[in-house]
Order: sequence, then C-alpha cells, then structure tokens
Amino acid sequence: MIKMNNINKVYQTEMVQTHALRDFNLEVEQGEFIAVTGPSGSGKTTFLNIAGMLEPFSSGTYELDGIDVGKLNDNQRADLRNQKIGFIFQGFNLIPDLNLYENVEVPLRYRGIKSAERRKRIERCLELVGLGARAKHLPQQLSGGQQQRVAIARALAGEPRFLLADEPTGNLDSLMARQVMEILEEINREGATIVMVTHDPELARRAPRNIQVVDGQLADFSLYQGAPNKEQTAGDIAARAAEA
Amino acid sequence: MLWYYVDLSWRSFKRTPLVSALMVIAIAIGIGITMTTLSVYHMMSADPIPSKSEQLFALQLQTMDEGEGWFTKDDIPYQLTFKDAQRLMTDAKGDAQAAMVRTGFAVHLGDESNAPKLMDARATGRDFFSMFNAQFIHGGPWSQSDEDNAVNKVVLERSLSEELFGETNPVGKTVFLDKFLFEVVGVIEPVTEHTKYYDLNNGSFKRPERVFYPFSLVKELEIGTWGNSNGWKREMVTTFKQRLDSEIVWIQYWVQLDSPESKANYEQYLKGYIQEQQKIGRFARKEPKYSLRDVNQWMEYNEVVSEDNKILVLLSFMFLAVCLANILGLLLAKFMRRAPEVGVRRALGASKTQVFFQHLVEVGLLGLFGGLLGILLAQLCLWGVRESYSYYSALAKMDFLMLASAPIIAIVACILAGLLPAWQVCRTNPAYYLKTQ
Ligand SMILES: Nc1ncnc2c1ncn2[C@@H]1O[C@H](COP(=O)(O)OP(=O)(O)OP(=O)(O)O)[C@@H](O)[C@H]1O
Ligand SMILES: [Mg+2]
Repeated sequence: MIKMNNINKVYQTEMVQTHALRDFNLEVEQGEFIAVTGPSGSGKTTFLNIAGMLEPFSSGTYELDGIDVGKLNDNQRADLRNQKIGFIFQGFNLIPDLNLYENVEVPLRYRGIKSAERRKRIERCLELVGLGARAKHLPQQLSGGQQQRVAIARALAGEPRFLLADEPTGNLDSLMARQVMEILEEINREGATIVMVTHDPELARRAPRNIQVVDGQLADFSLYQGAPNKEQTAGDIAARAAEA
Repeated sequence: MLWYYVDLSWRSFKRTPLVSALMVIAIAIGIGITMTTLSVYHMMSADPIPSKSEQLFALQLQTMDEGEGWFTKDDIPYQLTFKDAQRLMTDAKGDAQAAMVRTGFAVHLGDESNAPKLMDARATGRDFFSMFNAQFIHGGPWSQSDEDNAVNKVVLERSLSEELFGETNPVGKTVFLDKFLFEVVGVIEPVTEHTKYYDLNNGSFKRPERVFYPFSLVKELEIGTWGNSNGWKREMVTTFKQRLDSEIVWIQYWVQLDSPESKANYEQYLKGYIQEQQKIGRFARKEPKYSLRDVNQWMEYNEVVSEDNKILVLLSFMFLAVCLANILGLLLAKFMRRAPEVGVRRALGASKTQVFFQHLVEVGLLGLFGGLLGILLAQLCLWGVRESYSYYSALAKMDFLMLASAPIIAIVACILAGLLPAWQVCRTNPAYYLKTQ
C-alpha cells in the first residue's frame, strides 16, 4: 500500500532550517492498522501530510498503491487523495460557516456522490459518533470533543481505503476514546488501512502494529517487526531497543 | 458542482456583507457609467435603416471651377444647386429619387381652434416616403401629377395630425402653411427614430420634420430654405429667380439604386450629365468629381459620431478599469483570509482546479449583481441625459443588445479582476494551514 524510501523533508524558514523527516523508510501493507507514537515535534504530522500527498517532500521516493507519487501533477494527486484517502486532522479543521451536516458533506461533494447517497452516509456517520441530533449546529456551538467527533465522521463518510488520523482521540474522554477506537477497528476489519498518531499508550497498545518517530526518523525496532506483539507498548519497544 | 459553488459564494457574501456590497457598488458604478456612454455611442452609430442602407445614396457633384476648393474632406460640396437637383429629378434615372430641402411655416387651420405654430417642413419628391420606409397610417403620398403640376398637397406626421385634427382621419381636410392652403393626403409615423440621416446639416439627432410637401412648390411658391446655403461664385443674387439659377448649393439629393448594375448605369448617366453641362461652361475643371455615398458612408463622412463621443467611451472604460483595480485588491484580501478553509477542502479531495473555479464563480456572481445594479444606474444616468439635453432624447436609451451586454461585460470584467486572487488562493500549500490550529 505505502512504500516510503529515504524520504527527507526540510522546512526552510528565514532563520532556521528544520529537518522534519530524515531518511524516513516505511512500508505499510494493505489492511494494516498502525499506531504512530513519538515526542512532540518529532515529525509525525509531517509524515502523515506527506503520506496524504498534502505536502511535497525534499528527496526520496513514495509509492502509493504502486503509483510513484513524485511523478503526479497536482490534479492527479487531488484525484488520488479524493478517491482513497481520509483525513482526521490534529486540529479538527472544521469549516466554521458550514453546519455539521455540510462539513461532513465536503469530501462527498468533491467525489461527485449523488445527494441521496450523501444524505444516507452523512446521517449514518453523524449517528455513529453520537451527533445525529446536532446536524444543523455550527462547529462553534460544539465542545472540543464534539468537534473532534465531527472530524471523525467527516473522514468516515468518504469510506476511505486509507485513513490518516492525527490524534483522533486527543480531546475525548477515555470512554469516548475507546468508542472511537472501536469504530476505527471496525472499518479496519472491513478492509481500510489505518495510520493513527496517538499519545495514548493504551490505544497504541490496541493497534496490531506500533511505530515510533523520533527526531524525524523511524525508531529502529526491526527486532520486533517479524513478530508483532500486541502487548508491547511503544515505551517497551524503546526500552528494549535501548537495552540491545 | 456549479450549484455548490454558487451556494458557497452566496454564503461568502453573507459572511462579509459590507465588503461584498462595496464591491458590487463599485462594479455597478463602473458599469453604469460605461453603459451610459456606450449606449449613446451605440445609438449614434447604429444603422438607421438596415434593410435599405446599401441602396440609398446621397449624391454630391463637384460644380466649382478649377482652383476652387470646398471645406469637405474630398473637396465636393455636400449639397446641390437647385438647377442640378431639378434636372436630375426630371430625368429620374435612379430606381427612385428625392431632392429635398428644409423649410418652415406657421401651421394652422385658419380658424380660432389652434394658435399658428412655427415648424420645420420638408419639400421633397413623392419617392421620399417609399425610399425612407415611411409608414402611412392614412392615405398615401401625393401623385406624380400633383408633383409635376405643383399642387398644394401635404403629408403630416401622426403627432401633428392629432394636434390639429384629433384622432380622426384628416385625409381630404385642409391646413394652412403660412398663407397657403394645403390639402392633407396622408399621415405617417415619424420617418426616423434617432438619427436624421437624410439631412445631417442642422444637427444629426434632431427629430424628423412633421410636414412634407411637393418639391415643385419651392419654385412655384418661392419658398426659402431653413437650412444651409453655400456659394463659391461671385454672382448677382437678389431675386428668388436668380437664386434658383445660381451656383449656390442648398438642396439635398438622395437616389435609390437597387443593384450594382443600376448604380453603374446611374454613374454613366452622371458622367454624361457633367459633360453636357461642361459644354455650357459649368463644372469648369479638368476632372469634376461626383460622389454616391450609401447611408452608413454618409454618416461616417458627416462624422455623426464625433471624436469626442469616442473619447468619452474610452474614458468610461478606463474608469471601469479603475473600479476593477480596487475590486482586485479587496478580492485578494478576502480570498487570502480564506486560505485555511481552502487547505481543508484541498485535503478532503478538492483539486486546485476546483478551488480555482469555486472562486471564479464567486467573482462571476459579484459581476452579475454589479452588472444588474449597473443597468439600473445606467438607466438613471440616461434618464438624466434625456431630461437635461432634449437633443439626445432619442439616443439616450438602452436597446436589447446593450441591456444584454451590460451583465456580460460586468462578469467578464470581474473574472479578469478575480483571476489573480483566485490563482493565489488555489496555489497556497494546504498543509501549512492544517498544522497551525
Ligand atoms: N510549515 C513549517 N515550517 C517550518 N517548520 C515546520 C513546519 N511544519 C512543521 N515544522 C517543524 O517540523 C518539525 C516536525 O513537526 P510536526 O508537526 O511533524 O511534529 P509532530 O510530531 O506532529 O508534533 P506534535 O506531536 O506536537 O503534533 C517541528 O520541529 C516543526 O517545528
Ligand atoms: Mg502533530
């Protein structure tokens, strides 16, 4: 599904040069559910943005479903993104003028889905995150956690084959977080590939595969990749890596 | 997708009503001014008789001696002498012809019912009415024998007929022109709508005359011109008879030539006529010229649309450009503030092209509103022109073409102004705004 080879991402600002990703290598198989952990500023969001083709990278190659992304033009990337990829952003990024219904509708509009089908999907997804009754509300009339759930509904409505989630449970209580996790596990069972950034070790532990980004690089835990262990937390892995 | 963009644009207007209203007003003012000048220009330059403008020709003859010049571009007098006009009328070699001259009378019924009114009257041939597509409501032109025998017959315009006789059919009734009694033979609608192309001498946009009578009466009743007379020769002209025989030019002459052959024949005839006249000492120059200009060439030659009119149109378009420059600035600010939202849309699957078109639809809509408001404004301006310059009253109007082109010009102009802002907003990096929240 995903094949990243020696990806580098350098942000050039007036004062400093930030090496957000360095020689980043990763392969993700179709149908995997991966939890990404790592300290703040380590490059997790940058990795997701590149994976979602929202940002160009400085060097390296990236193949998505066998297509060399570096060779696509902007409209082709938009098409691919539109067909395959769903986003849950770290900062929800709801559109303030649109009510919940219309916010969830956005990706469906660009995909050219008919209005009856849109309605069905939107209502189901809002129901799924427990906001069915608030379809007409505007984002600023909701709490942070509720906004987060709308962002999740919006990503799910597109029924993406590849879901990129940046701390989807960051603003939710543990009960709600577990519910969201269950939803993600459900769509993963139905065949979607999921890459989820999280700071919550408990949630990370539930994911079949854990990776850690440290200082723009994938922490090396090749030791464990052959036999992924559900009980291993990111912390365990880092500790064992340090021992070795 | 278009409706989605229209819906989003409408929300965008509602979100910033003040800025949006300002932009619409700016466009409306620009369009209003532009359409006002353009409408007047359009009316001035319009073909006044499209169905026949290529068959009707204004005739000019270069009667002066060698060495004498004229103040026209081609050195040919724009009117004829009476004797030439009369001879050409008698020979009648065109498919139709009309000599004509502007005169004037006190018109009254000879009783107490109406005060005498001084007004223009045109002496002309009976072909005049068919040549210039005059629409008869009652009766018809005077007969050829009336014309040949200089009988007092008159054709009135409907408005005058109604003033004198009310709604009734006046054919057969009589009316006084000065002290002469005339029999009404016909009633017509106004001959021209806005440009008095058949006689451009005393104002191109004056309303047409309302009284028409046989040209032969000019000589019979010794009727003087109310138009221009010009001479080049030192001659003794004290009596009316001397004036008719002189080289003074004061008669307009139109000839209808339906086909190229017809025109070729007529030119042949003119050459023959000039040669014949040279034998008696007139047209005393090596190569006397003549000219046959069709209606549109005649209007061009007489500069019906002046340079000033053209400059005014140009200036108003420049004003529109200034309005658009302001709008460009406002749009740039407005669209860039929306970059974060655009970032989200891009991440959720919108292509650059879709974002670009969404914004073009928005500016197009602005243009549409501005254009419609601009039409209202232009109507107001044109009304003002009509009220303050009655001379322009027939010109200061918007016809269908102008009404239809106003919103189109507005939309195209706005899209031009919106290209840069729309381009700017669609090429912002979506990821940049997604992280910062
Ligand atoms: N647009 C940008 N311009 C300059 N530097 C940037 C830009 N975006 C990110 N960075 C830098 O790149 C590095 C990685 O940022 P990134 O957002 O990927 O971190 P993160 O792992 O998602 O952190 P967090 O857990 O806090 O969300 C940081 O040092 C950040 O300052
Ligand atoms: Mg992040």
